[in-house]
Amino acid sequence: MLEAILNGLGGLVAGFQALALDWRSIIMIVIGCILLFLGIKKDCEPLLLVPIGFGCILVNIPLSDLMAKEGFLRVIYDAGVDTELFPLLIFIGIGAMTDFGPVLAQPSTFLLGAAGQFGIFLTLLMALFFGFTKLEAVSIGIIGACDGPTAIYVTSKYAPHLLGAVSVAAYSYMALVPVIQPPIMRAMTTQAERATVMKYKARPVSKTTKILFPLVITILGGLIAPKGLPLLGSIMLGNLMRESGVVSRLTKASENEIANVVTLFLGLCIGATMSGAAFLRPQTLIVLGLGFVAICLDTVCGILFAKGMRVLSGGKINPLIGAAGISAFPMAARVVQREGIKYNKKSYLLMHAMGANAGGQVGSVIAAAVMLSVLAGMGIIS
Amino acid sequence: MADEVLAPMPGKITRILVKPGDDVLEDEEVLVLEAMKMDNPIFAPSNGKVKEIRVKEGEEVDVDHVLLIIE
Amino acid sequence: MEMDNTTFGLTMLICGMGGTLLTLWIMSLVMTALGRLFPEKAEPKKEG
Repeated sequence: MLEAILNGLGGLVAGFQALALDWRSIIMIVIGCILLFLGIKKDCEPLLLVPIGFGCILVNIPLSDLMAKEGFLRVIYDAGVDTELFPLLIFIGIGAMTDFGPVLAQPSTFLLGAAGQFGIFLTLLMALFFGFTKLEAVSIGIIGACDGPTAIYVTSKYAPHLLGAVSVAAYSYMALVPVIQPPIMRAMTTQAERATVMKYKARPVSKTTKILFPLVITILGGLIAPKGLPLLGSIMLGNLMRESGVVSRLTKASENEIANVVTLFLGLCIGATMSGAAFLRPQTLIVLGLGFVAICLDTVCGILFAKGMRVLSGGKINPLIGAAGISAFPMAARVVQREGIKYNKKSYLLMHAMGANAGGQVGSVIAAAVMLSVLAGMGIIS
Repeated sequence: MADEVLAPMPGKITRILVKPGDDVLEDEEVLVLEAMKMDNPIFAPSNGKVKEIRVKEGEEVDVDHVLLIIE
Repeated sequence: MEMDNTTFGLTMLICGMGGTLLTLWIMSLVMTALGRLFPEKAEPKKEG
C-alpha cells in the first residue's frame, strides 16, 4: 500500500529529477523565455517568436512525450513541416499580399533582386569550410534568402536537425535588417552616390500584365528550375489570385486565416525541434554567425551591383537601392528610403526600393529553386 | 521667387505642419506623405515664407502634384 | 557523393549565382515584352 503511494508520488517528482539530470533542458527553457521576451516585450517578429519560444519551452520540459511518436507536437510536425506543407501555405499568403506593380513598371529592378541573393552562395562556400556537410551548407546558405518559408522549406527537407538554428537565425536577422544594413550601406558608398536623386516616373502597368506575370514566371521558372516549383508555384498562386480579382474570398483566406493558422502551427513546430540535445551544440553558434554573414553579404552584393548599374546608367541610379534587393519585404525598402532621405532631403527612393525589394522576393525563390535544381543535376539530391 | 514643392511619389497627405504665412527654413519638415504604408517627411527646398498650400490633410496625390509654394 | 567540398562549393557559386541572375534577367525581358504587348492604354484586347 505504502509502496503504491510512493510510486504514485514518484510520478509527480520525476519531472524535476529528469530536469536536474539534463542541464541542457534548463538552458533551453531559458532560451525559450528569451525568445518570448523578444517577441512580447521587444516586438521582434512576435508572430513567430512567441509560438517558437513557447514550443521550445514545451519540448524541453522532460518526460512529456510531446515530440514522441504520438505526441501532439509530433503530429503537427509530421503533418506540416515534414511534408513541406506549412511553408508553402504561408507562401501562398505572401504572394497574395505582395504587389508586384513597381517591379513590373521597371523590370530592370528585378536584377537587383538577383544580386541580393548572392550572399546565399557565398555563405554556402563558407559553411563548407567550417566543416558542414554539403546539404547542411545549403541549409545554412539559404538563410541569406532572407525569407522564412524558403529557409524552412529547404532546411526541413535537407537538414532537419538544423531547423531550429536556421529558423531562429533567419527570422531574427530579418527583424534586424534595419540595424544591419545602414552601416554597410554607408561604408560602401560615397556621399555623392548616396545623395543621388532618382525621379519616380509612374509607369502604369496594365491589369493583363499583372495577371500574366505570375503565370509566366511560374511556367518559365518551373521549366528552368523544377525543383523549386513548389515554392515558386505557391507564391505565384497567391499573387495570381490577388491580381485576378475574381477570387477575393480565397485571396483573403490565404492572407488571413490560412497564413495565421499555419504561422501558429509552424512556429510551434520549429520550437519543438529545439531540444537541448539538438540545439546546444557549437554548430548552432556557427550557424547563427554564418546567417548573419549571409545577410551582410547580400547587402554588399546588392549595393555593388547597383553601383555597377549606376556606372552603366551614367550616374542615374542611387546604389543604396541595391540593399533592397533582399527578400525582407517591405522592411528593406523602408530602410533604403529612410537612409536615402538622411543623406539628401530631396531623395525619395521608396518606389524604386520597393521594386528592388519585390524583385528580391522573387529572386530569393528563384535562387532557392536554382540551387535545388543544380543539386539535383549534380546528383546530390534525388 | 517662388519654389513649388512637388509630391515625389503617389500617396496620401497625412499631416501638414505649416500654415500660409509661416516662415520656413531649408530642409525643415513641412508635410508628411504616406506612401506604401510608410510615413515620408517632405522638406522645404529653401528658406522662405509659405505662400500657398495646395492640398488638404487626407488628400490623395499623384507624382509631381504641387503641394505647397514657398517664396 | 564523391565530389569534394571545394568543387561542390565553387560549382554552386557559379551555377547558383549565374543561374539566378540569368533566370531573373530572362524574366525581366519577358516582363518588358508583356508590358509592351499589353499596355495600360484604353483598349485591353483579349489576347490568348
